Amino acid sequence: MKLELYGASRDFSKESFIIFNLEEKSTIKELRVAIINFIEANFQNNESYKKIVNSSAFCSDKDEIVNDNYKISNNEKVGIIPPIGGG
Amino acid sequence: MLHARVVDISKEKIELLRAEKFIASSKCGASIYFVGTVRDLNNSKKVIAMTYDSHDALVIKSFEEIYQSSIKKFNFDNSVVFIEHIKGKIKLADISILIAVACKHRNQAYELSRFFIEEIKKKTPVWKKEHYEDGDSEWLEGNPIQKN
Repeated sequence: MKLELYGASRDFSKESFIIFNLEEKSTIKELRVAIINFIEANFQNNESYKKIVNSSAFCSDKDEIVNDNYKISNNEKVGIIPPIGGG
Repeated sequence: MLHARVVDISKEKIELLRAEKFIASSKCGASIYFVGTVRDLNNSKKVIAMTYDSHDALVIKSFEEIYQSSIKKFNFDNSVVFIEHIKGKIKLADISILIAVACKHRNQAYELSRFFIEEIKKKTPVWKKEHYEDGDSEWLEGNPIQKN
C-alpha cells in the first residue's frame, strides 16, 4: 500500500509517499506499527517522528478519516494526517 | 451559498476582489472579511516565510461540512460564504486564508465569520512550516484533527 505524507510527516521521506508491503486487510493499527518500525530503522528511533505517528489520524482513498480498525485494501492509498494547524 | 477552494501560490494569490464579487448580494446588509496573514515573530523567533501544506480533497470536504453545520446551527437566511486557503510557500504579510461572509444583519455576519475560522482550526487538514531568519525551518505543532 501507499502511504501519502502530509505536514510534518513529509520529513519521513524525500518522496511524498512511502510504500509498505502489508498483508491483505491489514488495519490502520498495523500500519501505525509498520510506520514506527520504519522510523526506528531509518531515523535512529527518532522520538519526535514517533510522536507524530502516534498522534496522527489516517485518511482512506475515499477521503474519509478512518479509525484504527479500518481494513486497508490492496494497493489502497492512505494519507497520514498529523495534528493540524492551518488558518 | 458557498465558495470553497485551495489556492496554489505557485499559480495565483488569494484576492479580496474575488471574494467581494462572490458575496455581493442585495439581500445582505453586512459583510465581514477575515484575512489571515503571515506574522514576523513566533516564540521569539524571527519568521521570514511560511509553507502551507494541505490535503486538498479533505480541506474542501471540511469546508463544505462546516458550511452545512453552520446552516444547522444558525439557520441564517441568504447567508453567503467565501473561503480560500493558500497552499505553498508565502512571504510575510501574504494572505494565508480569506473568509468572507455576507448576512442580512451584522451580528449574524460576525457570528458566522468567527464560527468558520474556529471550526477550520479544529477540522481542516492544513499544516504550517515556519522559515526563520537564520535559515532554519520547522513544522508547527498542531492539534489532532476533529471529525464532524
